[in-house]
Amino acid sequence: MDGACCGPGYASPAEAMKAPREKLLYTIAIYTGTGIQKPDYLATIDNDPDSPTYSQVISRCEMPGIGDELHHMGWNACSSCFDDASMTRKYLIVPGVRSTNLHIIDCATDPRNPTLFKVIDGAEIKARTNLSAPHTIHCLGSEIIISMLGDAQGNAPGGYLHLDKDFNILGRWENSMGEIKFGYDFWYQPRHNVMVSSEWAAPNTFMPGFDLEEVGHLKYGREIHLWDFEKREPKQTFYLGEDGLIPLEVRFHHDPDSTHGFVGAALSANIIHWWRDDAGEWQWEKIVDVGNEPHPDWPIPVPGVISVILLSMDDKYLYLCNWLHGDIRQYDISDPHNARLTGQVWMGGLLNKAPEVNGVKVTGGPQMIQLSLDGKRLYVTTSLFSTWDNQFYPEIRTNGGCMLMVNCDTENGGMEIDPDFVVDFGAEPNGPSRCHETRYPGGDCTSDIWL
Amino acid sequence: MMRTVTLANRGGATYEVDARRPLLDALREQGVDLPYGCQYGGCITCAARLTAGTVNQSAQVALNNRQITDGYVILCVARPTTDITLEIGVESHHKLYRNPFTDPLEPHELKADIATPEA
Repeated sequence: MDGACCGPGYASPAEAMKAPREKLLYTIAIYTGTGIQKPDYLATIDNDPDSPTYSQVISRCEMPGIGDELHHMGWNACSSCFDDASMTRKYLIVPGVRSTNLHIIDCATDPRNPTLFKVIDGAEIKARTNLSAPHTIHCLGSEIIISMLGDAQGNAPGGYLHLDKDFNILGRWENSMGEIKFGYDFWYQPRHNVMVSSEWAAPNTFMPGFDLEEVGHLKYGREIHLWDFEKREPKQTFYLGEDGLIPLEVRFHHDPDSTHGFVGAALSANIIHWWRDDAGEWQWEKIVDVGNEPHPDWPIPVPGVISVILLSMDDKYLYLCNWLHGDIRQYDISDPHNARLTGQVWMGGLLNKAPEVNGVKVTGGPQMIQLSLDGKRLYVTTSLFSTWDNQFYPEIRTNGGCMLMVNCDTENGGMEIDPDFVVDFGAEPNGPSRCHETRYPGGDCTSDIWL
Repeated sequence: MMRTVTLANRGGATYEVDARRPLLDALREQGVDLPYGCQYGGCITCAARLTAGTVNQSAQVALNNRQITDGYVILCVARPTTDITLEIGVESHHKLYRNPFTDPLEPHELKADIATPEA
């Protein structure tokens, strides 16, 4: 089902777009920081419209202990091993940002009921690599690297944890962090021997919550870094300054021949575009600038806080979430230098534009998103990070998070919230939990890279 | 050296703990159900509020000075230096979290490494 040839994934982004519709969704849900003394878990959601349990959580794979703060996750294999018949997309690697534990979850033996296969203990990772706070996971052919945002004491810049295909710790992946101050997300484009990484902050800075004053004290990132991927070292830095405060999600075009890529600067609420020009030089520019919005109770206008961006598999549309404003936007980036707003929907947020959607009170704002491979269905969750949720949306403690689906017009642009799909994590059996990143068994729009 | 820990919001229950050990470990071993995360003093998940007595929490790096002034302690690294009274769990967190845009910190209220002395 993953493809006609050999290994996991698809021969190309165009082939991926022809994949069958996603019928199961995996999303993490947390109790860390909520006051409920239960483990975080991986929720499996039935997404088959013909099923009696459509739009419901059908299984929950609990972690062994409490306090992990599950956040992002990644597959053991993707289209980067499409030619390797010995590989299968079987395991989700699900890290705990706070605990540094890596949970390896078998999603293939019974896709409707994933089970814990193995745990790599955070203490072992710290002891062997002096790294903590795992974030983004990408497979590279048969191996795996994970951006780790801190050293074992939670200081920046951390580095990259390198695992083999059997989840043994190989050590640090990078040969040098150069002058990089912070880590966060990364994406590589192997045909151009380039990787781009972004910057959040040291774990000891962001884990306790957001002190705005620390931005001015240079405790948060404002640079992105281009790496020599084969040499495993950074070779160029773009200082984004006030236009690029807290650059988070990094997305290259899916087209492996393209040098274009994008990063969302969360606090500046801008989209930054980079590319390699005809002279072979890397360039960057700002292509979207979300304005701050007035709020009756705030002394200053509210910034959008772009918590995520994502590209459709055909590289035509860029989606972004303004977590504090409460909108998701769709931009046509067919010309990547000129983003054109083509769609917008509202859910939650601080501007009170859509406090309730599909009968569920939305606490938080649109946060993580995942798009179907054909580009038509966008899944949205509302929690960012436990401590930051508690600061901006304290009612989330009692209401929990939720997941919604947005139908996207891939021909003419446009978005509409699907009226029949909502997963209310406020109604979970152990009490209100909060959902974050979502993935599908067959791969999605942020999981696969082509060699 | 043993110290007595009183949990004000658990009916005043008392526990005898070894003062050389972090409070999180000492209390959990005696059956107190406490939240925690990083377990090295960097993430605030285990914060509790100290309402009487003193602790040594010099290893914590998560709290800003306002949170410390408000009585918060990081149980995964804090050790009691006297008998103490704590409020535990998220019920004690009402002053721990604030909207950073509507309620900014004064320069002396920042984390210790960047705070300036109070004028």
